[in-house]
Amino acid sequence: MNFASTQFVPSRRMGICEPLPQIGMWSDYKENNYLDTSTPAILEVDSRFDNQQLRRLAQNREAARKCRLRKKAYVQQLENSKLRLMQLEQELERARQQGLYVGGGLDTGQLGYSRTTNPGIATFEMAYGHWVEEQNKKTADLRNALCSDITDLELSSFVDDGMNHYFDLFLMKETAAKADVFYLMSGMWETSAEHFLSWIGGFRPSELLKVLEPHLGPLTEKQSLELSNLKQSCQQAEDALSQGLERLHQILSETVADGLLGEGNYLPQINAALEKLKAMVRFVGQADHLRKETLLQISRNLNNRQAAQGLLALGEYFQRLRVLSSFWTSRPRESS
Amino acid sequence: MQQAIPYKDLLPAATTAANSGITKLVAENPVVVFARSGCCMCHVIKLLLQGHGVNPTIFDINEQNEAATIDEFSKIIDNPEEIADRPPPPFPTVFVGGNLLGGLDEVMAAHISGELVPLLRKAGALWL
Repeated sequence: MNFASTQFVPSRRMGICEPLPQIGMWSDYKENNYLDTSTPAILEVDSRFDNQQLRRLAQNREAARKCRLRKKAYVQQLENSKLRLMQLEQELERARQQGLYVGGGLDTGQLGYSRTTNPGIATFEMAYGHWVEEQNKKTADLRNALCSDITDLELSSFVDDGMNHYFDLFLMKETAAKADVFYLMSGMWETSAEHFLSWIGGFRPSELLKVLEPHLGPLTEKQSLELSNLKQSCQQAEDALSQGLERLHQILSETVADGLLGEGNYLPQINAALEKLKAMVRFVGQADHLRKETLLQISRNLNNRQAAQGLLALGEYFQRLRVLSSFWTSRPRESS
Repeated sequence: MQQAIPYKDLLPAATTAANSGITKLVAENPVVVFARSGCCMCHVIKLLLQGHGVNPTIFDINEQNEAATIDEFSKIIDNPEEIADRPPPPFPTVFVGGNLLGGLDEVMAAHISGELVPLLRKAGALWL
């Protein structure tokens, strides 16, 4: 039997998901006996497609469908959170009017650091505020992209854009570290929850891998192995840097304490210590370098959809941490 | 067991003569790390390499030998600009199998990408 090139037999074996205008919607046939009676032997297909491509199309469609469902659930959750946020803001306003609560409000929980004395830091704070806004926007765009029928090429440009945004942050931090490395290390620029989970001025790469792994979709055995190796390499690198930092603590302490109870002029010790402190800048730089290399290495082992899902998961994770910090800052205080 | 080799032990009798000691050191030892004494970054590199079962040869850099050492580098490596272009300090500097690997940045990158172990193995630094 010959089939015209515009007609497809809806056979499950071929996994076709195209709508069939002449014959009816695909979903009409899924549940009834039509499939049982048509033998899989009828497999003459349009020469435009081969089995592999059809399978891939089907998989993409399925992934997009699941994504849409997830997005629906997410939006619902967002609406609920919005209501809660409005409730909290009202309570806050009430409490503030009564003079019971003194604070910065539902923002990023920054302490009263005198940024005005350090222009480099003031610049960084502003730039970082913009970075976070951009990051939220990119996360939302990425979510929409994953739910749509996007081409692999377009998806790859989303992935590159997302990665580069993180790399931009590392560059910003490099400049800020030269202005005041202690500001970065103290986590005053991060929200409280982010800082609690941080390691040498930012996220811990091995922890990040643990957060991401379940959200990358199905992994091949090779990919699982690579990820496991990467986790181990990260941990080794983190340990080496942590121990190096401890060494610096020791050396700094010894340098400052050298010749205590001496003649009174301890300027040489202070100068020596200043030199040691410069190593702090290198440590923060190395930690960010490790973060960058880890992100690059993950992306090398994943296909575009997996990488995009990973970036989305990452964006959402940090968003949740920021929201957690806000809620923590504004939680109602128990009256004693 | 690793030893920091004092520079003066490698100097021939005439201290102004070009020193082939460093070239020899790099050629004869699978992994050599040049670093300032007490440098914490050197400590990090050491730990990383030791984690792979490698005991690197550490060469102590101080004010006296720094310039001469950098000069030696430019004779060993193919692109001397690699060292010269880096803002000081170019230390720590790591050589594997007689070739320049780079600083801590390069070591970390190679470690994460999985390229470090094959490099070490090729240089005969690993026992396995």
